[in-house]
Amino acid sequence: MDLFLLQIGNGLIVGSVYALVALGLNLIWSITDIPDFAQGSFYVLAAYTGYFAVTLLKMPYLVALLCGMSLGAVLAFLCERFLYRRWRERLFRDAARVQLLVAIALFFLFANIANALWTAKPRIFPSYMEGSLFNFSYIRINVLISAVILFILVYLFIMKTKPGKAIRAASMDPGMAQILGINIDTVNSVVFSLGGALSGAAAVLVAPLYSVFPSMGDLPLLKALVVVILGGFGSVAGVLICGLGLGLLEALGAMYVSSAYQHGYAFFILILVLLLKPKGLFGRV
Amino acid sequence: MSRANKIVIGAVLLILVTIPHVTSDYIVYVVTLAMLFSMLTASYDLMPGFTGPLSFCPAAFYGLGAYSSALLTLNTGISFWLALPVSTIGVFLFAIVVGYPALKLRGHYFAVTTFFFGHFVYLVFLNSREITKGPLGLGGISPPDSILGIDFGSMTAMYYLILVFGIITVAFLFTLVHSGVGRLLISIRENEDLAQASGVNTAFFKVLAFSISSGLAGMTGSLFAHFFRLLHPTTFSWMTSEMIVIMFLVGGSGTIIGPIIGAGVVTFILELMRFAPELRFIIWSVLLIVILIIEPRGLAGMYYRIRRRV
Repeated sequence: MDLFLLQIGNGLIVGSVYALVALGLNLIWSITDIPDFAQGSFYVLAAYTGYFAVTLLKMPYLVALLCGMSLGAVLAFLCERFLYRRWRERLFRDAARVQLLVAIALFFLFANIANALWTAKPRIFPSYMEGSLFNFSYIRINVLISAVILFILVYLFIMKTKPGKAIRAASMDPGMAQILGINIDTVNSVVFSLGGALSGAAAVLVAPLYSVFPSMGDLPLLKALVVVILGGFGSVAGVLICGLGLGLLEALGAMYVSSAYQHGYAFFILILVLLLKPKGLFGRV
Repeated sequence: MSRANKIVIGAVLLILVTIPHVTSDYIVYVVTLAMLFSMLTASYDLMPGFTGPLSFCPAAFYGLGAYSSALLTLNTGISFWLALPVSTIGVFLFAIVVGYPALKLRGHYFAVTTFFFGHFVYLVFLNSREITKGPLGLGGISPPDSILGIDFGSMTAMYYLILVFGIITVAFLFTLVHSGVGRLLISIRENEDLAQASGVNTAFFKVLAFSISSGLAGMTGSLFAHFFRLLHPTTFSWMTSEMIVIMFLVGGSGTIIGPIIGAGVVTFILELMRFAPELRFIIWSVLLIVILIIEPRGLAGMYYRIRRRV
């Protein structure tokens, strides 16, 4: 029973990381129809930033977290402003596909920059908090709590503020939103930066748990994509539930079925859900 | 086909035929790889270039063809010449089974699902130790049995064999694309709803395109298995799928010649940059983004654009 609860906890913690990255992806995807693969590499770079902030610059963890988030936000902003925007309103057939492929190329690019600069040797992120509760270290619990806090903040922003309303309008109908006076450029920049910040946060939160290495973004990115599709577009709560749910299912699957295929379960869940509910579980847009 | 194109193709074939006689084994090896990738990319092109949906798992079918062909010859002792068609058809049928539900999804959903499918197949390769020997690699695959007295143990012989298959594949794809079926596929790409409204059975043709594309990838895999004679799961990871997508993109979608150019260019650039392994991918990603900025339809697009000006 103890082991079962432990796995549930692990699943929730891992799931909250997926959910964070997925939230950023969800927002970006809803508005621009681009699955921003590059977020996976912002994740990696943010983790390294946090790592160096703590080890080289001796900053406290919270500052490192903010540094990681800022880096993610800045990178995402730059990519949108100077790359994605070029194909945003082009009418030629392949515009959306070009953006997708640029996203993939960027993912490759930044992940390999990390590899070239810092080698594939995993870096151990120093622990910043001692103590544990019910066999879960405070660091692990912090991941879940921080994720939930960030989710609440984003939810409040999107639902209760004026800029949030503009974002929601843009995600429903960008053309109409523009006609009504909403500045799509600003909305895009904000959404991308937000996505980057969320990925960055996820990365720095996870870094103390598993160490930092250039390919650490691959799997979270894939899982986050699944979560976005499962959770449906336009639903913050949906992303959180599906993210946690996926983490749980993976953890339980690893324990009861097979841990070798742990990363493949997401695939089955995806197919199953898509066949039954093509718009995702909570899809609205 | 225009006269200019025919001349270019003739010249390229001439060069390809003479390469083993004038260059070193290493170059023969690289060109063989380029040819294999050309076949993969050209058959891959059938999907996004002509039918529409972008799939991310060509490497999975490549791997399935390779492993099934290798395992058939290793475990049951049948000849390569039988294993090749068997694995090709097997992969083709499997792709129908996979493609049918998957192609119900549109656009990005389909892309992400195929991404996962590819990763899942990779996991299967990696973890089925009893069958595929997983990360230890499946080795000891024998070259094709000799026919007409040709010994396929030599690299030159395999080079020519793959060249012949490459030509057959390209010719097949070319004929397909220019036939009535090809036009139907293009109509699906242009506007799927309109095609459906006009009476085209889009589901059938999408699955057909996907299966043919994957079957050819499987055939290429079989050739690869008996050329390289050692199979390792990482050869069929999603990195390889990405490479194929990128080659397709660099070369240009919607043409037959485009993917071949793309495959050739990318293979050579990657080999050239062997001296700086970390920088390889960085330079390559940057190159890709630059090409996308200049001409979203890839190098073939650039070629046609120039031709129109001239």
